[in-house]
Amino acid sequence: MIGGMTDWKKTAAALDPPIPEADIEKLLPVMNALEAAFRPLQLTLTPESDVWTES
Amino acid sequence: MDGIMTILEMDDALRAKKVSSLELTNETLRRIAQENSRLNAFITVVEESARARASAMDAELSHGIDRGPLHGVPFAHKDLVYTKGVRTTGGSKIFKDFVPDHDADIAVNLENAGAVMVGKTNLHEFAYGITSTNPHFGAVRNPWDTERIPGGSSGGSGAAVAAGILPFATGTDTGGSIRIPASFCGVTGLKPTFGLISKRGVMPLGWTMDHMGPITKTVRDAAVAFHAMGGPGAVPSKNADIRGLRIGLPVNYYFDTLDLEVSESVRTAVQTAAALGARIVDIKVPDIDALNVVGRMLLLVEATSVHQRHLNRRADIGADVLTLLDQGRLIRGSDYVDAQRLRRIYCGEFSKLWSEVDCIFTPTTPTAAPKIGQMTMKVGSVDEDVRLATTRLMRGINVLGIPALSIPCGFTKAGLPIGLQILGAPRTEETILRVGAAIEDATGVVGRTV
Repeated sequence: MIGGMTDWKKTAAALDPPIPEADIEKLLPVMNALEAAFRPLQLTLTPESDVWTES
Repeated sequence: MDGIMTILEMDDALRAKKVSSLELTNETLRRIAQENSRLNAFITVVEESARARASAMDAELSHGIDRGPLHGVPFAHKDLVYTKGVRTTGGSKIFKDFVPDHDADIAVNLENAGAVMVGKTNLHEFAYGITSTNPHFGAVRNPWDTERIPGGSSGGSGAAVAAGILPFATGTDTGGSIRIPASFCGVTGLKPTFGLISKRGVMPLGWTMDHMGPITKTVRDAAVAFHAMGGPGAVPSKNADIRGLRIGLPVNYYFDTLDLEVSESVRTAVQTAAALGARIVDIKVPDIDALNVVGRMLLLVEATSVHQRHLNRRADIGADVLTLLDQGRLIRGSDYVDAQRLRRIYCGEFSKLWSEVDCIFTPTTPTAAPKIGQMTMKVGSVDEDVRLATTRLMRGINVLGIPALSIPCGFTKAGLPIGLQILGAPRTEETILRVGAAIEDATGVVGRTV
């Protein structure tokens, strides 16, 4: 989802096998920082932006 | 400790019949026995098969069969390269008893070149990290200071070459795993252009960013090993000529946050290149932070795709790797695809630089080797996470897929090696190896052994 920030705990709870709750806490700061850096880059994409392929 | 001969010195000595492959192999095995308790660079040593292979290579030479400069030369594979009949652990408890029934392409190529495999080197678990502090097979230690990491993930290969145990070893590089050990251990590491060296039979980490390459004592040895692995081009000549070559010096990003000693050593290498006749061109590189973010997104997802079948064995995976694999599970498929779309844009932006310059000089790592167990470090005046700081000058290069060479260019006051990274346009390994060889000849820093 472009725009809002992800609820990582909710996402983790939906996984099979689940990520143990104690481990989720350790992931939150890193995932939040990565998402905060990635979302603005994503907004620069246009419909014409194709995927990378090996050339 | 006396350093072992280079590949090319061994080549000369073998053909002059001053030494046999069996003698070289026995000496290598003796050095492993002497050094491995200190460095923990090897997971597996294959004494019997190495001696048998060396004797066979001696017999071939005596019958006039010459497979080239690696004929009879001892080496080691990073322990994620499939070797038929020899266990291949990937540095993982899960694969501790895995014995492949076939060789990786790179193993076949080096065998055809006549090289003599003496063992498999230790690494960061699954090649997914930069410390080589392996929870299952023990921490690899840096020969220059055994309280410090050798870098990773190809840490055993870097430590073994730096300690003078053998002249070359194989490595893989998904976010710096050849160049980081090269930088921290004071040896040469070549990450070729993406796709140039076959990865078939090598345990993957990130399919679209994995690269195979050599870790060697010298630049010319790197060229020899690269060609034997399947790479094109020639070994740099004795007097490598770089007159008129345009060397790019980034005015942004790469020198912004560094240890002063690293910055000074790399700038000295730039001056050396200029004194040899190269033209130094100031360049502005595209947004490398953005490139690194894309690289992290791609690797998190790809590595989890590789290893998700093992996530029902959480207790058998080291804590740092498990955390990264869990992170990868949280990223959406659409975000991964968007990262690949951004990658295409950034590759296009970066490629424009090749109309201005022939290669680019940067530091390989912003600091010398940190201590084992160290989680953060001061870079300049900034506190940074060790893993993110160590990879930030090179992770993006794997996203671009361009060739990169790391060579030693100096030492800190504490006596730790400093690495220079030389980047080139796709498939210009011959150029960056020529530049590296010229710097090697001029400085005498490259090839110095602990």
